Parts: sequence; C-alpha cells; structure tokens
Amino acid sequence: MITITHFLVVSAVIFCIGLYAVLAKRNAIMILVGIELMINASILNFVAFSRYDKVNYGGQVFALFAIVLAAAAVAVGLAIILNVYKYYKTINPANINELKD
Amino acid sequence: MLELLNISPITASLLVVLLPFVAFLIQAAFGRRSISGNIGLIAIILSTILSAICVFFVVWNGENATQRITWFTIGTKSFSVGILLNKLTVSMQLLVCIIALPVHFYSRAYMKGDDGLHRYWMYLSLFCFAMLGLTVSINLLQLYIFWELVGFASYLLIGFWFTRDAAVQANKKAFLINRIGDLGFLIGIALVYAQVGTLDLVELFGKSGWFLNDTTANITLQEINKDSAWLTFAGLAFFLGAMAKSAQFPLHVWLPDAMEGPTSVSSLIHAATMVAAGVFLLCTVFPLFNETVLLVIAIVGTITAFSAAIFALGQYDIKKILAFSTISQLGFMMVGVGIGAWDTAMLHLATHAFFKCLLFLCAGAVIHEMSHFKTHARLDFDPQDLRNMGGLRHYMPKTFVCMVIGALALSGFPLTSGYLSKDSIVVSAFEWASLHGNFYLAIPVTLIVVSLMTAFYIGRLIFKTFFGSFSFKQHTSTAHSLHEAPGMMIWPMLFLAACSLFPIFGLQPLTYQQTWLIQGFQVVLSYPVIHTAHLFIPVGLTIGAILAWVLGWQWYVKQKYPLHANNRWVRFSNRQGYLNEVNDVLFVKGTQRLSAALYAFDRYVVDGATKLVTWTMQQVAVVAYWFDKNIVDGIVNFSANTTYYIGHLARHVQNGQLQGYLGFALTVVILGILYLIIK
Amino acid sequence: MTIDLLLFYAFAAMAIGSALLLVNIRNTARALFLLFIVLFAMAGLYLFALADFIAITQILVYVGGVLILLIFAFMLSNKELLHDLQSVSHRFITIPRWQALIISGAFLSVMLYSVISWSQTMPEWIESAQMAGTVISPSDNNIQALGFRFMTQYVLPFEIISIFLMMALIGAAHLSRKEQHT
Repeated sequence: MITITHFLVVSAVIFCIGLYAVLAKRNAIMILVGIELMINASILNFVAFSRYDKVNYGGQVFALFAIVLAAAAVAVGLAIILNVYKYYKTINPANINELKD
Repeated sequence: MLELLNISPITASLLVVLLPFVAFLIQAAFGRRSISGNIGLIAIILSTILSAICVFFVVWNGENATQRITWFTIGTKSFSVGILLNKLTVSMQLLVCIIALPVHFYSRAYMKGDDGLHRYWMYLSLFCFAMLGLTVSINLLQLYIFWELVGFASYLLIGFWFTRDAAVQANKKAFLINRIGDLGFLIGIALVYAQVGTLDLVELFGKSGWFLNDTTANITLQEINKDSAWLTFAGLAFFLGAMAKSAQFPLHVWLPDAMEGPTSVSSLIHAATMVAAGVFLLCTVFPLFNETVLLVIAIVGTITAFSAAIFALGQYDIKKILAFSTISQLGFMMVGVGIGAWDTAMLHLATHAFFKCLLFLCAGAVIHEMSHFKTHARLDFDPQDLRNMGGLRHYMPKTFVCMVIGALALSGFPLTSGYLSKDSIVVSAFEWASLHGNFYLAIPVTLIVVSLMTAFYIGRLIFKTFFGSFSFKQHTSTAHSLHEAPGMMIWPMLFLAACSLFPIFGLQPLTYQQTWLIQGFQVVLSYPVIHTAHLFIPVGLTIGAILAWVLGWQWYVKQKYPLHANNRWVRFSNRQGYLNEVNDVLFVKGTQRLSAALYAFDRYVVDGATKLVTWTMQQVAVVAYWFDKNIVDGIVNFSANTTYYIGHLARHVQNGQLQGYLGFALTVVILGILYLIIK
Repeated sequence: MTIDLLLFYAFAAMAIGSALLLVNIRNTARALFLLFIVLFAMAGLYLFALADFIAITQILVYVGGVLILLIFAFMLSNKELLHDLQSVSHRFITIPRWQALIISGAFLSVMLYSVISWSQTMPEWIESAQMAGTVISPSDNNIQALGFRFMTQYVLPFEIISIFLMMALIGAAHLSRKEQHT
C-alpha cells in the first residue's frame, strides 16, 4: 500500500532540490528549472491528497491549474530572460545589477 | 502680670531658652558696642521670671507638659525636637536661671574694663541658651546637641583670655577631654537607638520622662532584660559622657585648669551648672542603668570624691581648692545616682550650685581686690595664692560673712542647705551599703572621711584667707588699701548666701526628707530606711566637721602647723596626685614615643616596603605591558577582527542578489517554523 | 512488498536521483535533458496517486511545451553552449554552494520532521472520506469526472485561468518581439 507519507516525503525531497537550484544556480534558466521542480513537488502533493476527495476532485483540478500556471510562468519568464540576455549578454542573475536602461 | 501668667508652660519655657539666644545674636551683631551687658542681663532676668512663674510653679504643682515638632524623617523614623517639662527639667531650668542671674549681675562689676567684654557677654548668653536648652530637651539627640553647645561655650569662656598661654592650654585640654566623654555619650545614644528605636525621652521612659515605675513606660524598655550586655555598655557609655562633663576621676583633670577663665565664669559654669549637666543627664536616663552600671557609678563617684578631697588639701590657689571641692562634691552626686537615690543627687546638685557659686563669687571678690591692691601698690605677687592673703576679714567683712556661710554649707553644718543634701547622700549610701553589706560599706565610710576632709580644707581656706595677719600689711596705706568689693558684687553674694540656708529647700532644718525637692520627686528606694542612721550620721558628721574646723583653727590661725611645707604628702596633694604628670608621661610622652617609633617604622619599614613595592610594581608593569600588548590588545584586535569579519559576512546579505535575499528570507522562515515546532 | 510499491520506489528514486544530478551538473544542456527524466518520473508518480489525466497533461504540457521552450531559450541565450558542450571532461559536477545547501537541507529536515510527526494521524476529512468510502479507486473514470467538475463546479476558476493563460501568452509574445525603436 502506497501511503500518503510516501508521496509527501518524495515531494519534500524534490521541493528541496528545486529550492537548492533556485538558491544556488548562476543561470536564470536553471533557476526556472528549479521553480518547475518545486511546482512539480506541489502538484504531487495535490494529487496525493486528491485520492481522498472523490466528491470534489479538488486536488486534481488544482493540479491542472498549477500546471497551466507553471506553463504560463515559464513562457513569461523565458521571454524576460531572453530580453535580459539581449541587453546584458548574460543570464547570470549575479551580473544583472542595473535597473536603468 | 495676669496676661503673663496665661502663657502656657511650653511657650514660656521656649521663651526662657530663646531669650538668651536672642541676646547672643544681638550682642554678636552689635560687637564692641554691647560691652555693658545690658542685653544679656535683661534676657536672663526675663528668663528667670518666666521660668519661675510660668514654668516652674505651674509644672511643679500640676501636670507635666510636652510639645514636639518633627525635625526630619529618615525612612520611617522621624526625629522630633521639642520641650519636655516635668519636675526634674523645670527645677533644673529654674536652678540654672537663678544661678545665672546673680552671676550676670556680679560680672558687670567683676569684668568691668576688660578689653573683650563684648565677647564675654556674647559667650555668656550663648552658654545660658545652651544650658537652658539642655535642661528641657525632649530628645536625646537634641540633648546631645545642646550638650555640645554647652561644651563649646565652656571652651570659649575658659579661653576667654586667649592671650594667656595657660588659658589656651586649659581650654584645649577641656575640649579634648570633653570629646572623650561626648564620644561616650554618642555611643550611648547610638546603642539606645539601635536597640530601642527611639531617642524620645517620653517614649523611652514613659509619660513623665523619668519614672521607671511609671506604668505607661515604653513597652520595649520594660521588656528589655536589665542585665543585657548592650544595656550595660550603653549605661557605661552615658556615664563616660557624664564623667567628662562632670569631671569624674580619671577625666577630671580639665576642671582645675579651667580655672584660667574669669572667676564669674568658673562660678557659673564650672561649679554650678555645666558640670552638673552630667549628673542631670544621669538622672534623666536613670531608668537605663542596671546594677552593674550603678555600682560602677557609685565606685567612680567615691574615688572622685576621695581623690579630689585629698588634692584640695594641698592646694594654695584659692580657685583650685574650690575646683577640687567641686569635683569632690560632684563625686558625692555621682554616688547619689549610683546608689539609686538620684533625688538626693539632685538635691545636692541644687544646694551645691548655690553655695559653690557663692564660694566662687566670694573668691572672685577676694581676687579682684587683691589684684587691685597689687596694681595700686605696685607689687608683684599672685593674687590667687592663699599664702599671700590673711586677715582679710578686717578689710572685707561682708565678703567674709558670705564666704563663711558658703563654707559652712560646704562642710555640712546644720541650718545650712549643705547639711541637708550632703547628709541625705551619706545616709542613703549607708542604708544602701548596709543592705548589700561587706565591701559596700567602704563607700559610706569613705564618704564620711571625705566629708571631714571637706570641712578641713574649706576651713583651711577660710582661716588662711580671712584670719591671721595680712602678708603685705606693711604696704597698705590710706591711698591704696584693701577694701570691700563694690555693691554690684556684694548683692549677688548676699542673695546666694541667703539661698545657701535651709529655708530655701525646706522648712525643717534637720531632716532632708522634708525638703520639697525630695518630696517632689518621690523616688522609690530599693533599700530599707535605717532610722538610727538618720540620727547618728548627721550628728557624727557635724561633730567631725566642728573638730576639723577646730583643728584647722589650731593649725592655721594659732600657727601650730605640725607638718613641714615640703612634706611629701603635701606635695603629692599639691601636685594633684601627679595625675597631670602621669598623664603627661603616659599619654603625651607615650604619644611622642609612639610617634618616634612610628616615624622610624615609617622611615624604614614602610618606606622600605614602599620601595620594594615600587620595584615590584615596575616589574609588574613590564609584565603588564607585555600582557597589555599581546593579550589585551590581542583580545581587542581579535574582537575587532571578529566584528569586522561578521560584518563582512553580513555584508553579503545586502548584496543586491535576488538569490541571496531569497535565501535570507527562507532562513527566517525556517527559524520561524523551528520556533513553532519547538514551542 | 507489492509490485506497485516497488514501482513507486523505482519512480521516486529515478525522480530524486535525476533531480540531484540535474542541480549538480555543470552543463546546462545536459541538465535540461535530465529534466525530461524528472518530469517523466513525476508523471509516473502521479499515476500512483490515481491521477492519470494529470500525468498525461504533465507529459503533454511540460515535456511537449515547457521543456522545448527552455531548451530554445537556453540555446538562444548561451553563446558558450558549444564551449560548454566540449568541456565536459573538465569538471562534470559543480561544487555545491554551502549556504544554499544548508538552507535547503534545513528546509528538508523541517518538512520531513513535520511529515513524520504528523503521519501518525490523518487529517479528519481524510478519515471521514475513508469511512464514507468516497475514495478514488483505480477503476474510476477520472477524465469524465474531471470534465464534469470543470464545466460545473469549477467553471469560474476554469474561465479565469483561461483568460490568465491568454494574457500570459500575449505578454510573453510582447516581451519577446524585437524592439522597433532601437
């Protein structure tokens, strides 16, 4: 029997790996990847709890919403990254230290 | 007069105290313009009238009165100053006034023409203020303040002729010795305050302020074990204060020297009032004393009476004889307190004040005329020396009569006040001793011997001064002859002579119990009355005194002096038992030796130690320098570097990097969650 | 130890292992390809939670859309790509940054502590659902049920998320277009 604890532990590990990527990476794309990992971890939580909600299907519905939001976020985020790259010629967030044009 | 009578005793008593003070202030402000002494005289006259009519007769026949105002507050304890009027205090106050009044009159004639006369009146008023304030103080601390003021005024008056070296030495001596006593008094006050928590005489001793058997007495004092050690110490401390002020045996040495002051001052301060303050203090705090302290008081009083009588035998200075007789009589009073019959002590204090003041004034008159004669006849001799006098009764008959009355009172002849008071002490002492038995009997026996010696030496003084033939008879002429003192001096003497007779104190001339002073105090005695003693002792004393006078007559008037003038015993007596020399060797030389030893010690040991310490300190300094440079600076630098490094680390938080901020925010979140978990 | 549990462990191990390698690998291109594996493994895990439609959507949207976008963006932005690809032998794995490691480790331990300490008692609504038997079973038709819910119960969030998605796409397109006045 796969209990909910299994899902939660795996989700926690994935989330923390994503967190590490967000904190440590020197590449905007990799940070975005870390965010995707964290979103995936939360989606896993959604669907894991959703098993016990047959009436509303809330978990699965919001998992789908989350996927859509993540896709939109990635689209906008990548657009910004490309714009930044065009201006700074780098995607390392440490080097992006000016707000002015 | 009726309005005057309506003044409450408290107000009147306050006026009595403050009038001399006002006089003092006015005289101090006027300076040299106030040489007449009229201001001080008016003040003391008013004080006397007020004290007699509005205070004494009201309180003596009626209720006690107290009035106090809060002076200052420390924590929850508040000190109050005020006036306590009971039979003891009002009688003492009246006594001081009545003695001070004739002395003021006398001073006008006696001190005439002196350069510092304005100072004299100022000091005299100050003394009167302090002494009158002392008598009616309600608080032991207040009493102590006036006690000190009295001592200070005494110091000023002893050193009145401050250009004389002897006077300066004498007032210094008096001041230093009184300091010992004041320290004792202060310790006593501190002990009482620490143990009982109050210095108020009424709170301490009950409603009337001095009755132990009063049922309203302070509960704490009633509960105190009379044999507790602190009580003994406190009693001894108070007694030490009284010893210095009342010139008891080891501390009496200042009083003979105090005769360097003007004779009128000696009569007022060092015979009648100030020296009696010690006795008065002991009477006031009498309930504090336990058996041990009382015994010590009695013994010291006996020793004082005896030693001073011996010293008086060998003196040639007329004032010194009287000074020693004062000390001796103060010893009698102390014995009276010590045996528990403090009413007899107060009686003797009162009678003694009159006749001793009289004796001093008479002696002053004699000295006054002698020195006048000396100036006019251009002779050089000591006007105070008995050996230069003789046969003066032909020149100064009134003075002679007065002085004889005083002398008879001092000797304790019947019909005089001295007979009543002195016999009261001796009889009480005998009754007390016969209750305790054995060695206690030495005290009344000694007192009897002292009484006889007293009669002898005062007889000697009278005979040497007024009988026989005048030493400088060949120099007398119509131009410059000895003559009677001026009326201003004679009248106070006559007044005091009248006061030295029995009617002032009681209508019964032979039994002291009938005097109003004894009846007023109503002291409960702890020993039985022995009626035979009341008969035999006065008779014996009178016969002994007559015999002593007869012996003196034989020796001094009939010129059948059996002893050589340089007899060892006479010299011993004349030199006051070498007590001053002993003091000199013991304390002055001792102090000097000690100082020399201390100097040597200082020079070699302390300085050596200092040098050693210096060297050590230098070495320590070197080590300390190294320590400072490497360890202390190291610590400082280390902490500075640590701070710098921490700052350096913290600087990275504010690096403008999103990831850094995120990490920082997450750290806080984790800490918050951890807090929630742990909580 | 049933077969499904074994499979779950396998998928979980694949997802975690790939994710760890992903964050530690130097080469961004390889990391992005590792993301493929992670996303696939996650989709597998969704299946074990009986969310088949979510798993399908995950593969379609992430693997088919997001990942392709990421790779494009990476290739457009990283001019050292070739250089990076050639220098594989130099250092394969980056040294972890200790601050980030500590924070994420602390976060993980906090979460694991919470999960383990709270796993003994299920939330009330789960227990009541288990009592009532309203639990999704493998035989249920999830897609049909979801469709019904979207069109009835969740119609408003559905419409909002649609508009939001359109806004995001328009915004992304606007951001990405070439500046005309530069």
